[in-house]
Amino acid sequence: MKLVQRLRSTLGLSIGLFVVLAAYVVYNGRQAPKLPGFTIENIATALFTGLAIGALYALYATGIVVVYTTTGIFNFSQAAVAAFCAYLYWQLRVDWHWAAPPALALVILVVAPLIGLVLDRLIMRKLEDAPVVIQLLVTVGVMYFILIATGQIWESDTSRKLPAFYGTKSIDLGPINLTYHRAIVLIVAIIVAVALRLLFRSRLGVAMRAVVDNRSLAALTGAKPNIVSSAAWAIGSVLAAIAGIMIAPELELDPSNLNAVLVFAFAAAVFGQLRSLPMALVGALLLGVGRQFQISFLKFGGDWTFARDGLAPIVLLLAVLALPQSRLQVGRVARNLKPIERTSKVWETALGGVVLIVLFLALSGGWLNFGIWDPASWNQIALNRANPALATAFIGMSLVPLTGWAGQLNFAPMAFAGWGAYLHLRFALAGDGPTVSIWWLVLVGVLSAPLGALVALVAGRLRGLYLALASIAFTELMAKLFFPHPAAGFRDINKFKPFDVFGVDLTTRRQFLMLLVVLLAIFMVLLTMLRQSRYGRRWMALNNSEAASATVGVSVASTKVVVYAVSAAMAGIGGALFGTASGTVAATSTFILDKSIPIVLLMAIGGMAYPIAALFTMFQLMFLALGERLEQAGAPGWLLGILTFLRLFGPGLGAIGMVANQRGAAFETGRQNARYLPWRKDAKEDYAAARAKRREPEIGELGLSQAFSVADVVAIERRLGVADDLAAHGVARAQGVGVVVAGG
Amino acid sequence: MTRKKLFGALCVLTLTVAACGRDSTSSPDEAPATTAAPAATPAPEPATTPAGEPSDTTPAPEAATTEAAPVTEADPCAGAALEETEIGVSADTITVLVMADTGSELAPGLFQGSIDGTKAWADNVNANGGLACRQVEVLTWDSKIDPNEGTNGYLEACAKAVAMVGSTTLFIPPEAIASLETCPDKTGAPSGFADIPERAVDSLHQCSKNVFTLAGINGSCPYGGTGERTYQSFVGPFAKYTEIAGEPLHGIYLTPSDLPSTIASSMPTIRGLNQAGLVASDAEFGVSGRAEQATYAEYVAAMKSSGSNIALNGSNDQAMIKLRTEAKAQGLDESKVLWACSLACYTDAFRKDANVAGSYLGLPFLPFEERDQNADLDGFLTAVGSDFPQSWSVLAWNSGRVFEQAVNAVVAADGPNGITRARVLEEVAKVTAFDNGGWLGTVDLSKKAISPCFVLLQLKDGAYNRIYPEAKGELDCSGENTTTWTGDSLAEFKG
Repeated sequence: MKLVQRLRSTLGLSIGLFVVLAAYVVYNGRQAPKLPGFTIENIATALFTGLAIGALYALYATGIVVVYTTTGIFNFSQAAVAAFCAYLYWQLRVDWHWAAPPALALVILVVAPLIGLVLDRLIMRKLEDAPVVIQLLVTVGVMYFILIATGQIWESDTSRKLPAFYGTKSIDLGPINLTYHRAIVLIVAIIVAVALRLLFRSRLGVAMRAVVDNRSLAALTGAKPNIVSSAAWAIGSVLAAIAGIMIAPELELDPSNLNAVLVFAFAAAVFGQLRSLPMALVGALLLGVGRQFQISFLKFGGDWTFARDGLAPIVLLLAVLALPQSRLQVGRVARNLKPIERTSKVWETALGGVVLIVLFLALSGGWLNFGIWDPASWNQIALNRANPALATAFIGMSLVPLTGWAGQLNFAPMAFAGWGAYLHLRFALAGDGPTVSIWWLVLVGVLSAPLGALVALVAGRLRGLYLALASIAFTELMAKLFFPHPAAGFRDINKFKPFDVFGVDLTTRRQFLMLLVVLLAIFMVLLTMLRQSRYGRRWMALNNSEAASATVGVSVASTKVVVYAVSAAMAGIGGALFGTASGTVAATSTFILDKSIPIVLLMAIGGMAYPIAALFTMFQLMFLALGERLEQAGAPGWLLGILTFLRLFGPGLGAIGMVANQRGAAFETGRQNARYLPWRKDAKEDYAAARAKRREPEIGELGLSQAFSVADVVAIERRLGVADDLAAHGVARAQGVGVVVAGG
Repeated sequence: MTRKKLFGALCVLTLTVAACGRDSTSSPDEAPATTAAPAATPAPEPATTPAGEPSDTTPAPEAATTEAAPVTEADPCAGAALEETEIGVSADTITVLVMADTGSELAPGLFQGSIDGTKAWADNVNANGGLACRQVEVLTWDSKIDPNEGTNGYLEACAKAVAMVGSTTLFIPPEAIASLETCPDKTGAPSGFADIPERAVDSLHQCSKNVFTLAGINGSCPYGGTGERTYQSFVGPFAKYTEIAGEPLHGIYLTPSDLPSTIASSMPTIRGLNQAGLVASDAEFGVSGRAEQATYAEYVAAMKSSGSNIALNGSNDQAMIKLRTEAKAQGLDESKVLWACSLACYTDAFRKDANVAGSYLGLPFLPFEERDQNADLDGFLTAVGSDFPQSWSVLAWNSGRVFEQAVNAVVAADGPNGITRARVLEEVAKVTAFDNGGWLGTVDLSKKAISPCFVLLQLKDGAYNRIYPEAKGELDCSGENTTTWTGDSLAEFKG
């Protein structure tokens, strides 16, 4: 019955969507004479090829749903694992001429499960209680790591093709031939969905779903959380391997191509409400057919050329918005509470800003050149890289109030930034003068804020993963529908003019760099003030518990609207600065998801809740200049090798490293080093207390998955203040307790 | 050090390197997964034809007598005290810079051929005594499909090189052009420098006065990036295709649609063909490099329902491979269709794919298979160490030859210490009849016109076979091989 109800609710949305699309198809078909006609053959072709493509999406989506349902982690790396397995299969089957069965067996039954087990054991298991943003970004890090490793192992600039099963042999269905390969894909997708549904009804399946709800409770009822978790990741990787091997013959082997299917897979998985495998399959098939009908009969030429790629994000957004949201988590408030931290004082931030300005003055002037900058030329290039990097940092800083404080996951900073760049280009740069007043930035901020407020109103009821997925869809829609449209102005040869500040034209790169640094310092101070204001406290409260916030009179809706507006205003200003820093922006490649996700990733690695995290872009700049400069200077191979490794794998590894420290480098660096500041006696005391605490034993999993030892009991009794003279009796009791727990 | 300290250090280190991976890196979505049909080489007046005698074909040169590069008769180096005469010209070396989009982590090596061809040219020159009594040094710059890195490449060239040679960069913003045209020379004068790219894709780059490209440009200048423009369309092989088909051609056209620039450069081809009455469009499709082969079933269905007798691919080799593989799967009678491609299909992967046998393509230079017809072609293949290198490397190598010719002209006039950016610019602009011994159609670099020259090849048994002109070493350079079309190419694209 539940399935039927779900079908009704989701199908209602789908039918509505398809009716609108169909109407447009008919209208569009009459407008564009170069389209294929509505013949039986063309319609049948679109239908069957759409089903075949949809089945491929289904294989990806199924893996995502299985892992999410059983571990609670939404896996961004699903398509990356698929790509790796496809390449491995190519290696065995094509390059080493293995027969298909042993090659398939090795990849699908041995390597893929091993990948899943390794991911679970080394990374994912440690994310059990991590915030959703950390869970998501760690899997993003895994995705980058695997994709780049795949590209490096198999030199992705070399053209490779994986042959389809049975080549071009096909089944004659009358108006269309269905290739054996596509028939296999369809059958496999259905078998997988049915088999997994049966699995979920088995004892193991019930245990899997129990573990994700409450790991400890499930363990007490006999489930083995670690085994269940490992099984889920192994199954997910097997499904990824199947998907990768099946889709590769349809594409040129290329890691990014094989990863591009991800948004379709997300849309299909969300169509199944991230729980229902049959609905995910239905969603994937509808997506495949819809896309194929769109390719055949819907034409978005001219102004709307790139709107053709908007189907998946539209479905994703509508599906997320249509999802029934979980109720407020009133029972888990205590678990989710964030520890109280000392917030920086305004004068401390202002002092940091002054240090920053002085540092950049020295760097940009070549006074601090570390022996590697050639002030005559290289400095211009360094400045040319520094300016967009700092503007990107500015955009990243817009995430601090929204995601870092209010806990609203946002993968769309570049969408807001693009909007700001558009406003700046349209209005501020319309005049004839060679420069533009700095005050236009205020207007850009003011006009960008309503977009944030609008997003908050539309997506305000969403939380956690759903909010993240909605922000992904929003970014994709802006990137496909708005920014490439001529109205945005990015298709033209656009040139952002330099600023004038109080009558002084900032025409050189260095002058603009210093403007950026000063603006960054000012906004860091403003954010510090904001954090200490009642708005800042409300946002933090919202992050801890929306339910608790509501009970003390905080308007959740209006608070969200305000924080979204503030974030959008900052990102919009950042976008205008980014355009000016780069000199120009591209219609299809500047404000896109692929640029947005790394910003979120870097901010999370730096520490999303701390404005200073945005300044880590300065280190990026220094390292980039160092690496290329050393290469040109003929540095030893081993050093260049290390630099290349870090350049390629650093971001991915950094994200994976959040498993160990979820609050980011800024927090950890501050905690470790604040004690050196002369006015921070509190930090010295905290550090001493923390060191003392580290010497004490941890309780950890004792009594749950791990039996008590004698030493554990003695240590616990000491911490509880039980007299030492009872130790002998305590040992006896503890041994008994240990036996009971282990046996139970 | 504790684990957390280690983590902190790792985070800091990671953030410092992250820019290399992300900030300056374009995502897989940015990379042009499809490549526009490249414009061919321009040559209004073949140099090998006596003045006043128009010729439709360039004669096959005598291989043994073909000179790769002009050689000065007297040795200007004898007894010369060489000096540092310009930025990028020292007493020992002449430095040029080649920039190409090669370093995106997820799409590495995109235009690596540009780098390979330019380096191979420099090695060849140095092995044969150098240039202007000096060794040629090639600096490389990876523009990473990133406009900002494109600007940085020009800044680097401005600081270190006398000219840019053999580059292929998709995004070149206004700031880069400003650097190209106003870069100060050794005396501080804003001379700018010569840029002899493998090809110019960005319209701003195409229209710069300092850009001299062997591939020519197919659009009129100046151009603001949107709206109407007058284009030259290369239609040369299609009259021949009509002859082969024995009936008027009508069929489907595949446009590479991942970037506005690829659409803009591709659409004039089909509109030129439509206008000239050589090919009628049954249907037109935008293809993405990320599209599954299954999506091509729809294109095949359109061919079936229209009875198309030509399939014209304006995209890359992979698009043609997918189309023809799908056509086989859908049971289309391939023998009734003329499968036409461009230079983009002149790849090693394409010729080795059995599914595309019988495909035709028009090549704007002599094919690699005819290395015995041209000494410099033979030298090129030897230098790059491959029988079938990336086709980008051909014009990169020849761009080097153009630069070499200009520098030799400076040396002949002013001696080996007369080389400046301004003089090189002057002399490159005077290269009005470059054909490298008949390897290319004759090019007048100052006119920026696409070449009317081509040789028609057909893929058979894993090898490209000459169909027309029949004589080895010949190119058809008839003036009727190009036509003009005026319109808004982006607006013409219907998806």
